[in-house]
Order: sequence, then structure tokens, then C-alpha cells
Amino acid sequence: MEKPQEQNTLYRYQNSMSRRDSLKWLSILAASAALPGVTACSPNPDVGVAAQAGHWPTIDATFLDVKGYGKDPNLIIPPRAAWPRIFSEAQLSLVAVLSDILLPRQGELPAASELKVPEVIDEWVSAPYQNQQRDRPTILATLTWLDDEANLRFGQTFVASNAQQRMSIIDDIAFDRADLPAQFQRITPAFSRFRQLVMAAYCCTPQGSKALGYMGNVPIAGDYPGPSDEAKQHLDKILGQLGLTEFAYQV
Amino acid sequence: MENFQHQVVVVGSGAGGAMAAYELTKAGIKVLLLEAGRDYDPKTETPMFQTNAEAPLMGSGNSDKDFGFYDATVDGGWQVPGEPYTNAQDSDVEFMWWRSRMLGGRTNHWGRYSLRFSEHDFKGKTRDGLGADWPFDYADIAPWYDKTESLVGVCGTNTGLDDMPDSSPGVLQTPPTPRVPELLVAAAAKKLGIPLAPMHRAVLTQAKDDRAKCFYATSCGRGCSIGAAFQTTTSLLPMAKATGNLQIITDAMVSAIDVDDVGQVTALRYINKQAGSEQRVIAPVLILAASACESARILLNSKSAKHPKGLANSSGQVGRNLMDSTGTDLGALIPLLRNRPRYNEDGHTANHLFIPWWGHEAQAKGELDFPRGYHFEIGGGFNQPGAWVGGYFQGYGQDLMEEAKSHYGAYVGLSLRGEMLPNDDCYMEIDEHVKDKWGIPVAKFHWKWSEHELKQVAHGLKTAKQILTTMGAEVGELPPPEKAILKGGQIIHEVGTTRMGSSPLDSVTNQWGQTWDCPNLFVMDGGVFASNPHKNCTLTIMTLAMRNASWLAQQLHQGGL
Repeated sequence: MEKPQEQNTLYRYQNSMSRRDSLKWLSILAASAALPGVTACSPNPDVGVAAQAGHWPTIDATFLDVKGYGKDPNLIIPPRAAWPRIFSEAQLSLVAVLSDILLPRQGELPAASELKVPEVIDEWVSAPYQNQQRDRPTILATLTWLDDEANLRFGQTFVASNAQQRMSIIDDIAFDRADLPAQFQRITPAFSRFRQLVMAAYCCTPQGSKALGYMGNVPIAGDYPGPSDEAKQHLDKILGQLGLTEFAYQV
Repeated sequence: MENFQHQVVVVGSGAGGAMAAYELTKAGIKVLLLEAGRDYDPKTETPMFQTNAEAPLMGSGNSDKDFGFYDATVDGGWQVPGEPYTNAQDSDVEFMWWRSRMLGGRTNHWGRYSLRFSEHDFKGKTRDGLGADWPFDYADIAPWYDKTESLVGVCGTNTGLDDMPDSSPGVLQTPPTPRVPELLVAAAAKKLGIPLAPMHRAVLTQAKDDRAKCFYATSCGRGCSIGAAFQTTTSLLPMAKATGNLQIITDAMVSAIDVDDVGQVTALRYINKQAGSEQRVIAPVLILAASACESARILLNSKSAKHPKGLANSSGQVGRNLMDSTGTDLGALIPLLRNRPRYNEDGHTANHLFIPWWGHEAQAKGELDFPRGYHFEIGGGFNQPGAWVGGYFQGYGQDLMEEAKSHYGAYVGLSLRGEMLPNDDCYMEIDEHVKDKWGIPVAKFHWKWSEHELKQVAHGLKTAKQILTTMGAEVGELPPPEKAILKGGQIIHEVGTTRMGSSPLDSVTNQWGQTWDCPNLFVMDGGVFASNPHKNCTLTIMTLAMRNASWLAQQLHQGGL
């Protein structure tokens, strides 16, 4: 067999959202007049000459007419399913593959998909608030662009492409550099926003927070202990480097 | 309730209203308190230790929860559904009005910064001819600051700095020790001749009454189920209730005040929000503490033959003199803080050190081109990760987490909070064309910064840049002050709409918060501020409410009203 295993059975991300949630959303979506759609691979008249060198999908920016969690949600047991999710199964799988390219398993540290990062991205782009609505076309366009690009290059979707093919595309768009070819000048910042969301979703998780080095959110019985000895020594060192030793604050 | 014969009605259960109710009920006076929002219990409703990952959208803010999912604010924020406000066409800048609709009001989420105003602050006009003086001296109110700080529980130290009057010995609780970003700012600022000091905060570092001491976790903006961070719902309100002299009605949206033939308050009307019906309660004495703009709105909506311009508005000053704090932020990555050693940097979740106003002398010598002061609050640290991770992210894989780790806790921000002067272009009135869903005409705001605020902000930005640069940061070109200054109301220190003074000609109340026009009507919220020093307003709202409710209790005991 020439092809790796994943080529035979197309990768599917296992959504941990309950069937009850999905059914509830399905009914809301059915009742909604404007289902957000994605139309693939048409040149976009809004962008400059440089960006028109490539392709850019047209994204339906109409938003679902759904409610948020309101101004008095339960803060003790936060709502998990306040609004319907918009990702298709294929989009969710694509997000999972991309998230794991960005943050693969590293030793003890799980891969992004293992920490449900794709579901956080789905929740984000599906949300009926301004910040998220601003991100939604960016993220949806990124996903469609990647499939369009894979189709143009390899005649199949991004997820169906093999690891080497996937990375040849990612290597073209994951670095913001001065000599970025014209056809990647629009996808690169969009992919960057996607990466930013993946990073945030990952670093929020208990494992991600720990990896970052967040040590708070634990109750302290006595007085607040302040900086560790190591942190104090480090501060002393940089005060020295900045010529500020004589101005050190006397606690 | 049937046998409860109230002597005083208080409108609002936040800093001013709860303190007034506490002081009066302790003095044996029966109080009926009306709150426009719902009942709220921090002991059962505060999300302690819940992480951003457990919240929708990684805990980030939106139009439902402006300050993030876990912020304590109920049914409020920059907009209250069904209760709009408007901005006048002639305004340069939008005014933003933060409200909450819950027992305890905004004390449930406030920053707990609790700095005393000084004699310098109370007598600005005497010094520079601008704005208005307060109708008392610092010495008159100093003992009440002591009493309020003791009751509320404030941590901090006596610094001897001219911007920070000392508390009496034994009043302040020990502040928590400073953290690395604050210590670095302190050293850099000191090189520039600017001292830092422990922030004063209404957070217990030692247990008090039924309230536990801070355990140094969970942001205070969520509220505090253990009562360490002060809010009226875990302190003044239960204490006042325990006297047996307090009755509270929640979901009671006050619409107007009724007066008799001589113009004295007789009753007030409110909407029972659950039933949707109007109710009326008699008010032998009435205290408005609904927040500066809400109290002014009630007065302006209470016109009568005796008070044709609105109740207690013979001076025409109700709604005028609206002030907020000035605000702007400047921050930078500090390269030498990259990859710094980790430790638990939560502390009491806000400033342990801050930069008090240091320019009194320079200002007196005429070296500054703006009249009033500001302070800096310090941002940064190893905060709980949320919907934004700092870093210059390129590529994929291992490099991404390395960059995130390197950048984490290496960013330091300075937030200016400054004194604004009252001006003729900043005020509120009633919008004759818009009513809220209860049928009550809404507030309409006018806003324009004067050159005083813009020059002050320009000075602050330059100073912040100097401090950050001294810390080794690269700071780009500064924005012009009119771009950098935050919007009116955005610091949520709006005050002045029913200011106190020494003459009925140019003020709404006397020094006791008693309206000149109507002896049985008092205002005990931020509306009575004659000026708005850069220090956060809540401690002084509470201190004035305690002092003035105590004076009112004396009058009632003597049959004086």
C-alpha cells in the first residue's frame, strides 16, 4: 500500500456535543430564514489586484437570527449549548486537522483536537455577537480556501490530501513575510486569525494553561506569598541590566 | 411587612443606598429600600474558580456580558434591554452609561479601589478657580473615612504622600506584597522621580464580621462568595436586615416622586416589574441613591406646580456638571520579562502597587499645562488565559507554544485615571421623545472633553511612554490625546448631576445631601460630588452616605424634619 491509512478512511472529528444539543440546534436552524451558506471558489471583486492573483471564496455574511445566552446566564453551570453550531462535519474535521498541524501532540501535551479545540472554534464562529460575527467570514473563508487550494493542486479536499500535500499548502500561508506571493496575501492574515483562535482555545484548557505556566486559581490559606525566590532573583538581574538596581522598590 | 411602618424610603441598594440603609437601621429607624433589579445572593451565585475554558467563548465579553462571561453584572452593562438612553446630536463624543439591575448594584463587580480624597481634592476651585469646591473641609470628613474604611475593610498603608491622606492607626488592613511587573514599574518610575505606593482596596486580608479573608484567587469582578471583596450584598444589606428595621423590595423601578402643595415629598411611584403594574408608597423622608444619572433622571421626571423644572431643580443644576474620570491605556512588551520564572501571580487580582498623582508641586509652580491630577493603574502579569494569547505567532508546531510561553506575563500596561473638570457641554437631560419599556422618559447625554482633559491625557501618555521605555520597551509613536482618551462614562465614575454646595443658587443639595428645595428629600449617591478627583468614587460615596445618613438619623430623633 502506497498511501497511509488515513487516505483510505477519511478522517472524521468526533464531536463531543450531545445528540440532544444537535437536534435542538437542527430545529432552530430549520426555523431560521437565513441559513449561512458558503459558495466556493469565485473571484472576489472587493479585493485589490494583488489578492486577485489568487482565488477567494465568497462567504455569505448573513448571520443566523439566533439569541445569545442573555444578560443573566447561570454563571455557576455555564451554558454549553446557547446557540446552534454552524460547522458541517467536514468543516469540523478540517478544523481538527488544521488545529493538530498547529498544535500537534508534544510529549505529554495533547494535540489540539484531543482538547476539543475544534468545538471551541465552532462555538466561536457560530456565536451571535459582534466580535465573533467579524471573525466568522474570515474563518469560513480560510476553510473554503484551503479545500479550493487542495482541489486545484491535488484534485481533492484538504483533509483527503496526504500529509506532504497538506504541508506544502500550509508552508505557503503560515508565514507572514515581506516576499509573500500575491496569491497568498489574503489567506495568510486570515489563517493567522484562525491560528490565534486555536492558540487561545488551547491555552484556556487546563493542560494548555499549565503548559503556559499559569499557576493561579488556587486558594491560599495565609498571606499571599508573592514572587518566588527564583522570580525575585530574575527581577534583580533585569533591574541590573536596565541600570535600575539603586531604584528598587523597598517592600 | 404589614406591620412595618417605614420612616425613610431609600432608592437603590448600591454603595450609597446600602450605606444609608445600614446607618439608619442601626440608629433604630425603619427603612424601606427599593431596588430596580432582581434579588441577588453572591454566596450562591458567584462563579468562584470556574475557568475561562468552562465559559462560552472562552469567557470573553460581548453585548450580553460586556466585561466577560463571569462579570457579576446582572441584566445590565452598557445597555439594559428595554431601557435605552440617548446621545445628543451635538456631542463630540458618545457617553456610555453602565448600569446593573441587581441587589447591591455595581458594588457587586466594582474594582474595589478605595482612595481617600484630600483637602487638595475638596478645594480645587480655591486653588485654580475651576469647577466647584465642596461645602466642607477634609478635616470634617476624615473621621467618617476612618469609620467607613473600618466597616468596609480596606487594605493598604499610610504612605505620607501628599495625594494619599493617612488613615487613623489600626484602620487599614495589611496590603498584599507586590509582584514582579509592579516592582519593575516601581523601579523605572522611581528613576523618573515618580513614587509607587500600595493600592488601597476594599478587600479583606484579615477576616471581619461574617466575611472571610481573601484567598487570592478568582477575579473580584465576578463578585465574592466569601465576602472578602466588599459588596453591599455580603455586608451592609444583611447587617441592616439583621436589625429588623429594613425591608427590601426588588424589581421596583421608580418612575416619579409625588409632592404636596408646599412641594414636600409625600410618596413615590414605582413599577413592580414582575407584575408590570404601578405601585405607590408613602415617603415621609426619601433618599435617592439610584446612581448619579438615574437619581437625576427621577428628579427631572418629577415635575409639579411647585417644581416646574423637575424636583429640587430650582438651581437648574440637576443633570448638569456630569463628570467621569479621564481614561487612557498604554502598554508594551517588556523584552527582559520574556520567559520569566513562573509563580502564582493572582494576588488579590488587582493592583498591589499603583502610581498615585505625584505632580502637586509641579502644578503649584505652574510647570504643568493642565490643572488636575491623575494616577496610573498597572496591568499585566501571569493572568488566567482567556480568548487572547499574546505572541508573534508564525508557522506551526512547537514554535507556537514556545512563543506563547515566552510572551506570557511579559506585557505591561499603564492605565491613566484622571480628574475631569465639569463643563457646560457635559450634562444629561430628559429625552422628550424616548421612553423605556416601563413608560418612563429616558436620559439623554451631552458630552465634550475640554482642553484640560486632553492636555492631561497627553501628559499621561508621555509619562507612560517614559516609564515603559525605562523598562526596556520599544514604544511607538503616541496617539493624539483626542484619539487616545476613552469615551465619556467609560470609566464608570459618572458623578456630579445633583451636586452639593454652599448655596441653593448653584447646587442641588447642602453638605448633608439634603436638597435645598425639599427638606425631606436627600441624595446619597455620586450625584452629590462637587468635583471628581482622579481617585475612584465609591469610597467617598459610602463615606458621605454614612456621614449624611447619621446626620439624618439625628434630625429624625430630634423631630427635626
